[in-house]
Amino acid sequence: MLVQFYNVSKIYSNGVKALEDVSLKIDRGEFVFLMGPSGAGKSTMTKMLYREETPSRGQIFVASRSLVRMKKKEIPILRRSIGVVFQDFKLLENKTVYENVAFAMEVIGAHQRDKRSRVLEVIQLVGLKGKENSFPHELSGGEQQRVGIARALANRPLLLIADEPTGNLDMNTAQEIMELLLDINRKGTTVIMATHAWELVKAAHKRVITLDRGKVVSDLAPGDLKLC
Amino acid sequence: MLRNIVYFFREAFKSMARNHLLSIATISTIAICILILGMSALLTMNTSNFLNNLESDVEIMAYLEQELDEEGIQELQEKLESWSGIEKVTFISREEALKEMQETLGKKNYDLESTLGKNPLPHAFEIKAVDPHDVPQLAVQIEKIHGVYKVNYGKGVVEQLFSTARWVRVVSVVFIVLLALGAVFLIATTIRLAIFARRKEIYLMKLIGSTDWFIRWPFFIEGVGLGALGSLVSIIILAVAYGSLLKRVDTILFMPLISGSDVLIHLYLSLFGAGAVLGIIGTAISINRFLDV
Repeated sequence: MLVQFYNVSKIYSNGVKALEDVSLKIDRGEFVFLMGPSGAGKSTMTKMLYREETPSRGQIFVASRSLVRMKKKEIPILRRSIGVVFQDFKLLENKTVYENVAFAMEVIGAHQRDKRSRVLEVIQLVGLKGKENSFPHELSGGEQQRVGIARALANRPLLLIADEPTGNLDMNTAQEIMELLLDINRKGTTVIMATHAWELVKAAHKRVITLDRGKVVSDLAPGDLKLC
Repeated sequence: MLRNIVYFFREAFKSMARNHLLSIATISTIAICILILGMSALLTMNTSNFLNNLESDVEIMAYLEQELDEEGIQELQEKLESWSGIEKVTFISREEALKEMQETLGKKNYDLESTLGKNPLPHAFEIKAVDPHDVPQLAVQIEKIHGVYKVNYGKGVVEQLFSTARWVRVVSVVFIVLLALGAVFLIATTIRLAIFARRKEIYLMKLIGSTDWFIRWPFFIEGVGLGALGSLVSIIILAVAYGSLLKRVDTILFMPLISGSDVLIHLYLSLFGAGAVLGIIGTAISINRFLDV
């Protein structure tokens, strides 16, 4: 079991209830969609996985480690096993594609030797071979998101979290990114993807967890989806 | 470890070069702060030096009874010299005193002694205390000794001098501390701007799994570097300005200027250290809020 939520609730200091009594489990190697309208709690849930947020009540385990009881100095270790892909890519504009990906390895103090070959490997994996020296503003939206995915993969994460990764992309590009994420999942990485894009979800035939107003309203296995 | 240190320094220099406008702003801020701090320090040092000179000039004149003979005077001098609070006792005979008086009054064409009929002045001791602040108490004790008929140390004036000097010292220390606090605030604000410009990078580093110290080090190196550069600029300005002042004059309003190169070098080194420390403190104050992810 890679991810476990036990009766997790989150109430922000302004009184907003983001999550209410959420319990769920995600296995290693799964691909899971998080769906639901804006404000349903998808972002809160993903942020809890890499401990940008902590629950008000309940327990969360990632790779058998309690995120509630986790000490501050253990957080970096947790985060090194999780790759995060953002809706707005969050690339560093003054760095090239190569430097943006290498950044992820440099900031955790990775070995220089391993770095170069791994960076080139993930750049090839996301299909950007030959664009190593381009700057983000020279790339299309889809290409920029590929850089974001390459950066998230650089440190060989157990878990890849993608929060609306196709939210800023047109349908065709979104499908390409979707294919890439499914491919990464096929190679063994667990993927959790929060999205609004029903078209992509329907085509992918993967597990779908739907949230509404902070509660899990449905949790459908790949097979169940055909009934919808 | 070495690999990380190289990385920290490279990142610090890259950041300074990349945000060169902010770097220049920070260096200028630090330079101005250190310059003001340095000028105040020089002013304080000179004032304090002047006050020390004034204070060490404070002496006790003890006038002796007329009937005291040579042996009695010798005895009294030895007794006073044995006191721990007294540094030096100089005997001034009535003849010397009269000569001095005549000189002070001007070398007129008449003989003061013959004008007055006789020398009216007593023998006296000029007494220097180890600590000039003890002078008022010592004077009281000396006056009680048999054979001394009167003491004089400028009562009233001396106490006023001491209390003024104490005030000036306290005020200048408070002033410098306030200046340093103002400098810390100003520098912290400038550095915060520099860090704010890179908040996205810091956020990403946190999410990727950098430790806080890994993120902090380049910023601290940058802070020290900018602080050192800024203080260097101000020290050069200060050294050139004060040096050319010394070349022209050696006193201002009877106040002798400090010119000892060891004192000045010590000041300049302290200011250099202060610049670096202000850079570190400014960074420390500014960075933590960006690490809270």
